[in-house]
This record gives sequence, structure tokens and C-alpha cells, in this order.
Amino acid sequence: MMAKKREKLLEVKGLKTYFFTENGVVKAVDGVDFDVYKGETLGLVGESGCGKSVTAFSIMRLLDYPGKTVGGRVVFEGENLLEKSEDGMRKIRGKDIAMIFQEPMTSLNPVFTIGYQISEALKIHLHMNDREAMAKSVELLKKVGIPIPEQRVHEYPHQLSGGMRQRAMIAMAMSCDPTLLIADEPTTALDVTIQAQILELMKALLQEFNASLIMITHDLGVIAEIANRVAVMYAGKIVEYSDINTIFHFPLHPYTFGLLTSIPRLDVELKRLDAIPGFVPDPLHFPKGCKFNPRCRFATDKCREEEPPLVKVEEGHLVRCWHVDRVKEEVKNGLLVGV
Amino acid sequence: MAKPILQVRHLVKYFPIKKGVFRKTVGWVRAVDDVSFDVYEGETLGLVGESGCGKTTTALTILRLEEPTRGQVIFDGKDITKLKRRDMRKMRKGMQIIFQDPYSSLDPRMKVKDIIAEGMLTHNMLNGRNVYKRVGELLERVGIPADYMNRFPHEFSGGQRQRVGIARALALEPKIIMCDEAVSALDVSIRSQIINLLKDLQNEFKFTYLFIAHDLSVIKYISDRVAVMYVGKIVELADKKVFFDDPLHPYTQALISAVPVPNPDYKKKRIVLQGDVPSPANPPKGCRFHPRCFMAMDICSKVEPELVEVKPGHFVACHFYDKKGGNS
Repeated sequence: MMAKKREKLLEVKGLKTYFFTENGVVKAVDGVDFDVYKGETLGLVGESGCGKSVTAFSIMRLLDYPGKTVGGRVVFEGENLLEKSEDGMRKIRGKDIAMIFQEPMTSLNPVFTIGYQISEALKIHLHMNDREAMAKSVELLKKVGIPIPEQRVHEYPHQLSGGMRQRAMIAMAMSCDPTLLIADEPTTALDVTIQAQILELMKALLQEFNASLIMITHDLGVIAEIANRVAVMYAGKIVEYSDINTIFHFPLHPYTFGLLTSIPRLDVELKRLDAIPGFVPDPLHFPKGCKFNPRCRFATDKCREEEPPLVKVEEGHLVRCWHVDRVKEEVKNGLLVGV
Repeated sequence: MAKPILQVRHLVKYFPIKKGVFRKTVGWVRAVDDVSFDVYEGETLGLVGESGCGKTTTALTILRLEEPTRGQVIFDGKDITKLKRRDMRKMRKGMQIIFQDPYSSLDPRMKVKDIIAEGMLTHNMLNGRNVYKRVGELLERVGIPADYMNRFPHEFSGGQRQRVGIARALALEPKIIMCDEAVSALDVSIRSQIINLLKDLQNEFKFTYLFIAHDLSVIKYISDRVAVMYVGKIVELADKKVFFDDPLHPYTQALISAVPVPNPDYKKKRIVLQGDVPSPANPPKGCRFHPRCFMAMDICSKVEPELVEVKPGHFVACHFYDKKGGNS
């Protein structure tokens, strides 16, 4: 799915966010580069602790001590967000860039009504008065499929179900017509039938608003459903970066490869799960060389010594691995035979 | 297939809703409402459903960790709902459970070796001297070095703790193991390791599993037969292949179609259900699924459908397939 005329909306370059803890420096995000084009959805996928959420928080500049972005650039519509003043940042958050969080119960304020919380951004960014903002809130709630919005707008978060709260949060995110949406595991806490509702809703809204989305998730199924391009993260770095078809059919990083062959899935009958051995390394004690090497069956001495760079294998396909050729040999005929 | 090792008959578990100063019971949460099924020796029965559907309460009630309100549980030919506390404790040696959260299900103040040895000592399976040797063997079997037995749970990662939980269940040489969302809290790459381990152990020791999960992909991989629950009831039960290839209940169809598949080329017709799962404290009249059902008929809002065998081994609770309901 190649976008028509690709116009860059966001450019993240060499982003480094470290946590200065008592036990040492945790390099949660350690040199991350990616672009988001207008109207596209970029999937950011990885396991817990790989740095995908920290990346999002760094873009929004929402990190607190001991976390600090120590390097890189985040260029949004031509401006480096990392150099902006807090005031300037506040003008962007919730207006041009909006965020949807995983747990709407903890990210909505329990003591204010849904309507009040949606109105807040409308009043600040679009200078609406109370009545206009309330009317617009009702309209937004209707748009995200909340029944009887005139009544719901006066209710508190605890009066809504999990799926409805997530809809309300999406309404809030879309309120000021953002050009970039960042969703951090927005469906992870939801039941599967509700997840389907929310994904369908997000797809429809993205199209309607022509907004870009960074979708952060650990669920490769969700990625396959919504993303145009994907960045796979492992231990604070992007290890593979390409369009959606390549990632799922011709992955070239052993970690991506391993993730795809290890998960149980509905579309293929699997005899045995090809599990990745070992566990995600402790960020205070990352292995030397390639961070994936202790779990990698392609690993050689070189991998244990020297960290590979993220290199272009083909146009639009970047991989961080010394042994791309050997992996290529294995996936030559496509990862999934018989699909 | 073999004989049933576990027969659940009309199992009911209601929880009272209490209000006011005198804690008067004002209503009931019908967590499990007339559930019947068999689990055969050596098989894995997958029990799937969304949060609040009663799948965990079903497992806890079978083990009598929650006392059933009504109904029978026949384990190995004996009705265990009538057993006295002491006899029940003996019976539980044969029925073990692995919990979802490996953080809260292991006592943080006990060493791993004592957590695993506790059951074996309680049931006098081994004496104090031999028990730790056995603990070491069990740890090795689940993939943890035996010399880690002197450590405390917090020294292990989530995946390792789940392995400890498996070793603890394994220690009692049970006939059936209930896995209650045993892999749900784990990261993708760790989850497949644990699923493989559970499968290997089943091959080796011929366990029976009652595998409870909300993730249909995992259920499809691990189960021989699958039952789906909705608001306290089983609505469909069938062999895995039939369940996934030819589901009959509209809820099952919607559930399967809702699962995101990690393949961008995979085309399917998605049935998006409207509305939310109703509360088991106040389930809809008639068929509990009818307010969200895209096939609902008049009768569905009035009469509760029974779970009937529409084809050999394929049970469905839906008026659409019920001869009395008029259709097919």
C-alpha cells in the first residue's frame, strides 16, 4: 500500500531517551529513527520494555524524572519539538498531536464529566465558549458511536464501560482535528469483540480526518489490520523497518522472524510453536554486540562483539542484522507457506 | 475418545450483591448459570469467553475453591460436591490449577523449593529428605536450573515464575490441570515457550487440561475441543476443527471473526457486534445474547435456548438451530 505523493509529517532522528535510576542508566530508547507520512499508519511493535511507549512519550515530551531525552530530533511539520518551549509544546499537544492511552480508566479524570474533559481541549485550542464546546462534545461522542450522547456527555468515566471509555477518549483525541494521533496499546485492555469495534472505528476516523497514526502495540494481529508500515523494536532500538507486507511475508531480522513463527494464529494450522529461547535482556545489563544475540540461532562471534547498524536491504526495508543473507535464504519462498 | 474424567452437571454459582448497613442481599451475580460439560481423559478442553463470562468462576467452583450454589461435579467417578473439607483436600491432589498472574499466586515469603514441596509434604508423597531432590527434578523439567530452588519468587522473571507455578502443579502428579489464563500475562516470545512446555508435559504425563483463555489463537493451538461461554452460560461446544471452521452460534461466529490475524492478506468478513457484554447481575431475558445478535428472532427475547446436540459432539444453545424454534 504505497501512499500517493508521500509527504513527511513527522521525522524522528537519533532519538535517545535514558532513565537515570539509582542502579544505573537505563537506555530505554537508544537511537531510534523513523518517519511518519501524511495519512499513513505506522505500527510500532515490540515486547514490554522494548521502548515503544517511551518513544511515544518522548515525542510528546511527557516524560518525568528520571527519564530524559538526551539526544536526537523530533521534527513535526518542520519544527523540532525537542527544542520547543513548554508553552509551545502545550499548544501542540491535544491539538496537532493527540494521544490515546491503553487504560482509559486511569487516563480519564474520574472527578470530571466526559463532556467537561472533551470540552477542555476545545476551549483551550479552538477558543470555544462553554456552550459551543459542549455541543461539539455531543457531536464528537455521536461520531465515535456512543449511544444517547446528550446524556452520556454529563456522565463520569466510571459510569461508562471499558469500550465506551475508550470511545470517549478517541472522541477527545479527535476533538481538535489533529494531524497526528499516537495510540499506545489502545485495545490491549479490551475484550476481543470490543477491540474489533474500536479498530473499525479508528480506521473509519483516520480516513475521515485524513490523520496519521502511530500505533503502538505488542499484537502483530492488530498491526496487520491497521498499519501501512511497521517498525519492530527490541531493547531500545529499531531492528526492522518496512512496509506491512514485507514484514509479515519476508521478514529479515531473526527477531521479527521469530515473533512471527512463534505465535499461535487463527489462519494457519501449526504443529508446534517455534518459540524464541531465553528472555528479553535486563536494560541495565544489555549483552555486548547485537542485543538479540543470546537468543538468536543465527548468531556468530561477530554478533557477540559488534552491534550491527540499521541498513537498507531494499528500498524502504531496513534491517539491523549482520546475517541478513542467511535469514533471506530461509524466508526465500515467503514465511508462510500455504496461506 | 476416552472416558470422561470430569463431568460437570448443571453447575451454578451465584454471588450475592449486598447493600446497606445490614448487608442485605439485594440481588445475585449469576457468574455461572447452569453449566454442563465433560472433560475426557488426556484431552485439552478450551474454555473461552470475554471478561466476566464466568470461565474462571467455573474452574474455581469445580475445585471448590468457591462453593457451588447448585449442581454436581463428578471427578474420576466421584461426586466431589458432597465431600467433606478434609476429603476434598485429598481429592484436590488430583486436580491442580495454574493461575494467570505469576506475581500474586506465589507466596513472596517462601523459597521456591518450599512452594513446590508444600503440596508433596501435605499429601505425604515424600519425606523431608527426598522432597528437595524431587523439587530439583521438577524445576529442571520445567526449564529452571535446580540450584535456583533456594531463591525467592521475586528473583524470577514472569515467565520463570509461571514455570514455578507449573512445577508446583506437576509435583502432585494430578490427573487434570486447570490453566486459568496461564499464558495471558506473558510477553509474546515467552508465551510460546510456556505453551510448548504445557504441551510437552501433557504428552509426557498424559494430563488432562481444562484450558481457560480469552485468546482464541491460543485456544485454537492448544485445545482438542472448545467451549465458549457468554454471561454465565456455555453457548457452543464442539471439536476444535468444527468450532473454528463451522461455528454455529452467532456469538462464536462474531468472536472468531473479531480476532486480528497477523497476516495482512488474510481476508475475512468481520462481524462487528454492537453494544457491550451485559452484566451477569442483570442478564437479558430469553437468550442472553439476543440484544447483540444479528440473527435474533422473536422467540429469542422470550425463551432461553438450551444447549442441544445438533450434530454428534457439537452442542449449541441457539433457537436458530433448535427444532422447536422453527428454523432448520
